[in-house]
Amino acid sequence: MGIHVHLRVFAGRDYMTESNHSTFEHPEVQLAGTGYVAAYVAGIALMGLSLMLVKDHALDPTALGIAISGIAGLAALLQCVLLLHMTLSRTQIWQTVALVLFVPLFILTIGLTSWMFHGLYQRTMLRPIAASQAMAPAPLRAPR
Amino acid sequence: MKGAAGETAGGLGPVMWRPNHGYDDVSTKTLGFWLYMLSDAMMFTALFAAYAVLGHAMNAAGGPLPGTVAHPTHAFTETLWLFSSVLAYGGAMIALKKGNRVGVMAGIAVALLVALGFLGSDLHEVTRLFAAGATPERSGYLSAFFALVFYHGLHVIVGVAWMLVMLGQVAVFGLSEAVVYRLLNLRLFWHFQAVMWVFMFTFVYLRGAII
Amino acid sequence: MLVHIDGPWSPLLGRLALTEIPYKNPILVGTFLFAVVLAVVLVGLTTYFGFWRTLWRDWLTSVDHKKIGIMYILIGLVMLFRGFIDAVMMRTQQAMAVGPHSAGYLDAVHGYLTPYHFDQIYTAHGTIMILFAATPLLVGIMNILVPLQIGARDMAYPYLNAVSLWLTAAGAALVMASLFIGDFAHAGWFGIVPVMELPYSPGVGVDYWMWAFQLSSIGTTLGGINLLATIVKMRAPGMTWGRLPIFTWASLSANLISLTTFPVVTVALALLALDRYLGTHFYTAGLGGNLMLYNDLFWIWGHPEVYFVILPAFGMISEIIPTFAEKPLFGYMGMVVASLGIAGVSWGVWLHHFFTMAAAPAVNAFFSITTMAVGIPTGVKVFNWAFTMFRGRLRFDLPMMWASAALFFLLVGGLTGMMNAFATNDYMVHNSVFVVAHFHMMLLLIVYAIFGGVNYWFPKVFGFRLEQRFGRMFFWLFTAGTAVVFVPMFTLGFMGMTRRLDYVAFPQWQPLLDIEVVGIVIYVLSAAFLVAQLYVSLRDRAQNRVGADAWGTSRSLEWITHSPVPFYNFAVTPEVHARDERSWRHERGLDDAAPVVYEDIHMPCKTAIPLGLGALGFGLAFALVWRIWWLALLCSGAIVALIVIRAFMTGTSYTIPARDVEKMEHDRKRGAAKPARAQVPGGSPAPVLGGGT
Ligand code: HEM
Ligand SMILES: [Cu+2]
Repeated sequence: MGIHVHLRVFAGRDYMTESNHSTFEHPEVQLAGTGYVAAYVAGIALMGLSLMLVKDHALDPTALGIAISGIAGLAALLQCVLLLHMTLSRTQIWQTVALVLFVPLFILTIGLTSWMFHGLYQRTMLRPIAASQAMAPAPLRAPR
Repeated sequence: MKGAAGETAGGLGPVMWRPNHGYDDVSTKTLGFWLYMLSDAMMFTALFAAYAVLGHAMNAAGGPLPGTVAHPTHAFTETLWLFSSVLAYGGAMIALKKGNRVGVMAGIAVALLVALGFLGSDLHEVTRLFAAGATPERSGYLSAFFALVFYHGLHVIVGVAWMLVMLGQVAVFGLSEAVVYRLLNLRLFWHFQAVMWVFMFTFVYLRGAII
Repeated sequence: MLVHIDGPWSPLLGRLALTEIPYKNPILVGTFLFAVVLAVVLVGLTTYFGFWRTLWRDWLTSVDHKKIGIMYILIGLVMLFRGFIDAVMMRTQQAMAVGPHSAGYLDAVHGYLTPYHFDQIYTAHGTIMILFAATPLLVGIMNILVPLQIGARDMAYPYLNAVSLWLTAAGAALVMASLFIGDFAHAGWFGIVPVMELPYSPGVGVDYWMWAFQLSSIGTTLGGINLLATIVKMRAPGMTWGRLPIFTWASLSANLISLTTFPVVTVALALLALDRYLGTHFYTAGLGGNLMLYNDLFWIWGHPEVYFVILPAFGMISEIIPTFAEKPLFGYMGMVVASLGIAGVSWGVWLHHFFTMAAAPAVNAFFSITTMAVGIPTGVKVFNWAFTMFRGRLRFDLPMMWASAALFFLLVGGLTGMMNAFATNDYMVHNSVFVVAHFHMMLLLIVYAIFGGVNYWFPKVFGFRLEQRFGRMFFWLFTAGTAVVFVPMFTLGFMGMTRRLDYVAFPQWQPLLDIEVVGIVIYVLSAAFLVAQLYVSLRDRAQNRVGADAWGTSRSLEWITHSPVPFYNFAVTPEVHARDERSWRHERGLDDAAPVVYEDIHMPCKTAIPLGLGALGFGLAFALVWRIWWLALLCSGAIVALIVIRAFMTGTSYTIPARDVEKMEHDRKRGAAKPARAQVPGGSPAPVLGGGT
């Protein structure tokens, strides 16, 4: 699959790579580092925190849902930076741009879908007894 | 580059041609693979959307609800397995930085073994659920639940297989350019599983325990 | 876990049995005979001209982006023909089956097609036209042009490019196989649940549809990755984002769509497969399934997909108009932003395909508004084209004729789309032939742009222009056919005719249906002129040879290299100085500025692995359709094995020494003096397109 000319350009530095000894000097290889340990610690700590909150029912269900979503977002962000190296550096910029373009679509897909089905279920589905007991009775509309 | 020698025929005027113009092959490969990973994330997104739609009490069809199938503490041990494997692969990448072939292989081997631990734990949970009669055929809700669990599990299996192949490649070819970009792609693939797991853990297992 | 299916099944052949061959249906037997005769003729011709070796070495195993593009286009044309035959059958059936007294032939009560057969035909028509005609045609054109427009030697991943091609080919082959072995889906091109669930569709039709769809969708996703990476990473020096040719921008936007949305349809269909094979309940009517989930997931892909096919069409129009108006494109930045804007907005409108689902009013209102918002960037484009033509020196060569007629269809299709976009109004027209006419206007716009593009870039790829006289006849007849078919269709839509009727209950619709048949006949006539155009072009190619710039006023980078393009595209990578590089060089009298120094060129070797992967993909899908488990396992195993083997292969590229490049370039200069040399792919000495050895 190697298709191009000998001369490769690595982040502004030029050098020949016909021999193998320098391939691991590629800037993308050089990104690796202790950030991985930080990601590991932070990931486990944040997931542990969420677990504790849920186990102890520390908040009411809605707030708990928001809290763990926020924690998940933070954990994912940290992992994106520390593990996946999503930065604005010359080596990584396109990777980051691609991710940034995708994220709204992830949100849109799940968000709009949930929204439309939420309304649909309210309008079309008989609520099973267990579910309706858990919810306040739907307010009746006053006759005009 | 080496004095672009591409003047017009008469040697005057602007540079028209650029001999020996090079491309960075490694980062071209990793960009493509990253785009692929994002499209894979979109598949996860669609599955999560399906999970959200099929999460209504109606969709359980009288069968088990999220609260009964999702087991957060067990899922947390799976988190430990997976994150540890990701860390071990990170170790392999740090060894690669210095061209340490043995270190690379050792890191991958550890990552591989720990990933097997994750799979074992996953399998254990699934058999427990199956034994209790919570199978994908039971209800729309369980179909969506297992779709996510198995899709994530499938990624781990693919990762393990890929690591085996890469152990072979490093052994045979050393740290050649092709091997290096494949190692980088595997890094993207493997570390990405950790990110996906954060969402699995939070929105499938923890959320299930709230409702 | 496997769902139990009623009916015979054997471990060796799965559900496949001799009774599955529809030898009692005269229509299918006729088609089969036609296919056999065609195959015999093709094999005979290939043998007669000794073309097998070239076919294998220069085409089937090629990784050259131009050849892959040409093969994509050939698949697209073959499938366009197949889809067109389906259309002829639908039009004639509807015209024959009007009113209770209409006659019935061949087992049908009315007309000559039974309802079940008719349903398969419209399903096949839609699936084929969108996935296996429009998409391959456009992907093929992007494949050929994008590397040339950015000054690259090939795509970023030539090997993957071939894999995409053969996966698409496998999907197309699967659709064709369903004609003669078993049957095809009958639930419409977008599929209707729960009709597609096993209890309601126990046959193999839906499985054929589903797996063919999956193959092409994987192929297109991989192709999207390839094009995006190519555009980001492989641009020649000086090719900044602000200088990117507009067609490349359009391709970029289109492939952003394919990369982001095809995974969703992959999931939608995978869940259907789980329902049908493993008995899950994603879309079932009972046990907690949700019918609308399928529609949701499908159209998350489905709407953006229509923009995936239209954006490259816009791109081609944007290249053709400046050339024949002899002016730079008006509002380049506006065009770029509009393309990206269309791609973005297309992601937020999908519910307009099921306004009638009964979502909350706020939801319908939201999607109504987003749908209408698409009109803004589209309007920007239309005005930019108009201003490009304004005060231009307009020349109506064939490409320009097709491109300017396309604008007319954009107008009609866009305005009727706006009418559908009002949720309230859509309750009225949903599932009527008005909607069908709307999207056919849009798809015809694409077809027009494709014909324009093919006429425009044909000389670049093959070195000679297409003949114009028969070409014009084709254009006018095709346009007449379009008018005569679709004006009545809009009218019938307003009169309340619903789509997909195998029997029409209202005799007062007969005249309009008859007019549509007349339109179809005109289409058939026009096809004869297309064949004549191609024949005459090929015969008189020596007179129609062109230089690097085939039209004299072309503007972008691809026109500075030779026509036909050598397999290495550019002998030396060009330095780009302007948005319209070719015009820039022309204005400075630098047309003939040949490189003084040549360089070694590295090219990827040809390989049969992509072809093998395509064949195995076909095998896997076929095995799944018929539930032949051993074959499915075997094919999957072989696919994994091939991928791993390829990873251990070395020497996958080769070098052409600089002096050979120089020699080829000099030969070509001398060759230009004697134009009669056969340089047609098919004629054997095809040094230009020939993969190097
Ligand atoms: C101004 C832009 C457009 C608007 C506002 C628009 C609007 C709509 C709406 C509201 C529908 C749903 C109608 C219904 O089923 O009741 C629809 C259907 C459709 N449109 Fe468009 N559209 C636009 C452009 C396009 C383009 C560019 C294409 C294709 C290239 C296209 C292809 C289709 C197809 C294929 C369907 C129907 C699919 C089916 O039901 O089988 N549209 N359009
Ligand atoms: Cu739409």
